[in-house]
Amino acid sequence: MEEEKVQVLNDENEQPEQKQQYMTFRCCDEIYGLSLENVNEIIGLGQYTSIPETEDYIMGLINLRGKVIPIVDVRIRFGKEPLEYNDRTSVIVIQLQDEVVGLIVDGIEGVVNIARDEILPPPSVSNLTAQARKYVFGIGREGEEVKLLLDPYKLLHDPQEEQEQAAE
Amino acid sequence: MGDDMITDGMLDMFIFETEQGLENLENICLESKDVGEFDDDHVNEIFRIMHTIKGASAVMMYQNITTLSHKLEDVFYFIRESKPEKIPHAELLDYIFEVSDFITGELEKIKEGSETDGNADDLIEQLDKYLKKIQGGKAKAGEKPAAPAPAPQEKQRYYIAPVASDDSKFYLIYITYANDTDMANIKAYIAVNALKGIAEDILFTPSDIISNPDSANVVLEFGFRIALQTVEDANHIMELVNASAGIENVEIHECTSDDFIAFCMEAQSPVSSAGEVLTAPVEQPTILVKDQKPQAIALTNEEEAQKSNEKASEEKQPEKPASKPAAKKKPAAKKGETQSFISVNIKKMDLLMDLIGELVIAEAVVLQNPDLKVPGLDLTNFQKSAAQLSKITSELQDAIMAMRMMPLKNTFQKMNRIVYDTSKKLGKDIELEVIGEDTEVDKNIIEHISDPLMHLIRNSVDHGIESNEKRAELGKLEKGKITLEAKNEGGQVWISVSDNGKGLRKADILEKAKANGLLGNRSEKDFTEKEIFNFITLPGFSTKKQVTEYSGRGVGMDVVVKNIQDVGGVLDIESEEGAGSTMTMKIPLTLAISDGMIFSVSGTSFVTATNSVKEFIRVSSKQLIVEPDGEEYVMIREECYPLIRLNRYYHLKNGKENIEEGIVIILSHEERQIAIFADELIGEQEIVVKPIPAYIKKVKGISGCTQLGDGSISLILDTGDLLK
Amino acid sequence: MRILIAEDDFASRKFMLKFLSKYGECDVTVDGMEAVDAFLMALDADMPYDLVCLDIMMPTLDGYQALKAIRDIEESRNIPEDEQSKIIMTTALNEGANVNKAFELGCVAYAGKPIDQVKFEKVLRNLGLI
Repeated sequence: MEEEKVQVLNDENEQPEQKQQYMTFRCCDEIYGLSLENVNEIIGLGQYTSIPETEDYIMGLINLRGKVIPIVDVRIRFGKEPLEYNDRTSVIVIQLQDEVVGLIVDGIEGVVNIARDEILPPPSVSNLTAQARKYVFGIGREGEEVKLLLDPYKLLHDPQEEQEQAAE
Repeated sequence: MGDDMITDGMLDMFIFETEQGLENLENICLESKDVGEFDDDHVNEIFRIMHTIKGASAVMMYQNITTLSHKLEDVFYFIRESKPEKIPHAELLDYIFEVSDFITGELEKIKEGSETDGNADDLIEQLDKYLKKIQGGKAKAGEKPAAPAPAPQEKQRYYIAPVASDDSKFYLIYITYANDTDMANIKAYIAVNALKGIAEDILFTPSDIISNPDSANVVLEFGFRIALQTVEDANHIMELVNASAGIENVEIHECTSDDFIAFCMEAQSPVSSAGEVLTAPVEQPTILVKDQKPQAIALTNEEEAQKSNEKASEEKQPEKPASKPAAKKKPAAKKGETQSFISVNIKKMDLLMDLIGELVIAEAVVLQNPDLKVPGLDLTNFQKSAAQLSKITSELQDAIMAMRMMPLKNTFQKMNRIVYDTSKKLGKDIELEVIGEDTEVDKNIIEHISDPLMHLIRNSVDHGIESNEKRAELGKLEKGKITLEAKNEGGQVWISVSDNGKGLRKADILEKAKANGLLGNRSEKDFTEKEIFNFITLPGFSTKKQVTEYSGRGVGMDVVVKNIQDVGGVLDIESEEGAGSTMTMKIPLTLAISDGMIFSVSGTSFVTATNSVKEFIRVSSKQLIVEPDGEEYVMIREECYPLIRLNRYYHLKNGKENIEEGIVIILSHEERQIAIFADELIGEQEIVVKPIPAYIKKVKGISGCTQLGDGSISLILDTGDLLK
Repeated sequence: MRILIAEDDFASRKFMLKFLSKYGECDVTVDGMEAVDAFLMALDADMPYDLVCLDIMMPTLDGYQALKAIRDIEESRNIPEDEQSKIIMTTALNEGANVNKAFELGCVAYAGKPIDQVKFEKVLRNLGLI
């Protein structure tokens, strides 16, 4: 169902507008947004296989129709305690070029349109964890609500962390 | 007719079959090169191959291929029928390779969609001379010269490949005339006439400009519209059209073939819609124009076109040749052989593979559905059907996996040719031994290893093996030899290229490495043999001063290594100075099937290649030896194995700690053995190795993952990696 | 020579007509049934067609059926093979299986669309028609 919804909205996205569409989700009492361009689909979290000796936020591997994709718990990525998973736990499958990764989030909110000029730089003071702030590239406002827009590349690859690793 | 290349099944098949034939041909030649002659089977086979290629290329109308293959067929016809003795074999081989190369070159052109314009006349002439020579030899022996090629038994068929799509363009032209123009219809006709010279197809409206004087008014009022298909560009069209007087305005729009056909359809309908905007999508006309007679329908149009065409052709070809009797000399096209192969786009296979994966998951979802767990349900029939379903899906999985596996045979055979060509050019006497060519590897991998393998082989021929003189000087009695070997080894395919040449000189490599500043602070003595050899795989590292046409040692080694790494493999170099080198590509059977033993450790399932499992055993705590530094060993039947507890090794929580509760698995890799401790054994299954997504950094001992029957994922434990 | 063209698509028909009328008198039909009728009429009038061009995808009777019908008619009338009409299939269906099927049914050539005029003329020449 959700998959269909995304599909339909994607089609609308074709219209040449300044507005971009964002998939919004809940995580640690905040609403985050990811550009719909990067979102492949939304699935429920089923069985996964954890991988030893990896970063704590990489929960493991899932089998998505014969494709093996890694899953990342966004809460842990943001430096928070994870929630317990249940059969309603949602995974947003995103794609960056060839890389497909599943993001475990607290819950799906929906899709919003945010015009480019309505996006503000991230606030310097907020109740975000320092971790989370690194991945937010802007604040989108839709009516009264505020969405924290995530840079998916930074979310997956922390340039700072990667540098540190390379230095090791 | 979009911009896409026309995918032409017939062409694909021709290319596929011809390539197969040529490959066979080369193999036969290479096989026979040491024997020095063709045996009867070979002669028949070559004759058959050339006959097939000749026939097929005639159907496809690739004249040059047909003529050339016909000539070679003639040569072999003579050899087959007259069995001449002592024909110059090496010379013949060279001709055959030249023919094969020529046809391969033409096939490449066909694939690119360009003209097969290669000229084989010289080669044909040489073959002709050769044929005369061997015929002459025969004639001297007092026998009749060879009979001509066999008479055709079948009619020649032709296949006319469609024209490349991008050649001709479609235009819609809209011409308006000044209001006071006399006989606008005739002016319009002049424009049409001017365009006829360049037109592949032309259509205009109103179309009755010649037969109906009233059409002049229509032209004046609504303009004159032409749809034109041509290879010329708009400027040229403009020149041609604009030549006549009275023209007020000319618009030329390039359009798609669909618009063109739509225009044709519209013109076909009885009512003209000349008032519509030209470039607007053409719809069925609805505007009725007064004072206008129904437009000519298709037939009139055609008649007119026909008349003008007849005129044109009468002018151009005053004498229309009468039907000649069908050419009888046409060779028979061999056809109707049952196809035992089809070529399938690899993407389709990948899709099928993914779908089957999905099916397996769906199956698990159905069969393990919680709804079935209601107590008291009688599931006898369900279970029966379920078992049947499971059997089919697992067979389906096996089938698709097996489909992707291909023997290395073809790849190896290509190397034959490379050794032949290269060694001949360099004047070295080299023999190639091939072992294990039936080893099967996933298609994807084959594509990736072909280039590096070729490079390794060339390296061996060029730099590895000494020249004949040098070998004699060194007292190396045996012939230069390259061994190409493939084998399965613990979930990997090992493909090695060994030569009995001069080997690598460690001193030279070290010297060069030092000059390049690669040694760092370490002393030369600290480097292991392996480390030294690995220097040659670094970019730009070459100990060879002179780079030859075929390879420059070092120049390509980094590329070789990169190619191998792309498929998750490594290159292993062994060498003994003066005795030769062995380069081994160790490639994981990515996507390949192998048998795996599945076991679990604190809830995570692992799988390891069954052939690396020596045994699994429950041990008592008495068999466990703990060293003071914490290292553990197990004693099994007087043998002592180092023990790795996977739960501790990978820091997994809640794994079994008591050695008597879990299971010990003895793994062997090459010469070494190791014991691992796991919670429990789950079972055995054929596994498809998939890479761990690149997003996850390499974990020691884990070389990939696989999907189990229930759709879950298991990590592949690589013994070799674990032992490092 | 006498040419019969069976083609349901207007643009293609027009193209074929224009292209072939320089070689002889062309009759045009819009489906396979008409083509077979025309073929029969021509036989009865003792003016058989030298060349028949059949589209494959046509209404009522497709190109294969028309091809088979024509060959059957010729056979039933004991027309020797070298006097039979030369039949060329003209179609965008150029998968190997289609081509071989047509060859088996007895056409002499198979032309993929869009038609390569140069090669087509070459075939006509090879067939001794021009």
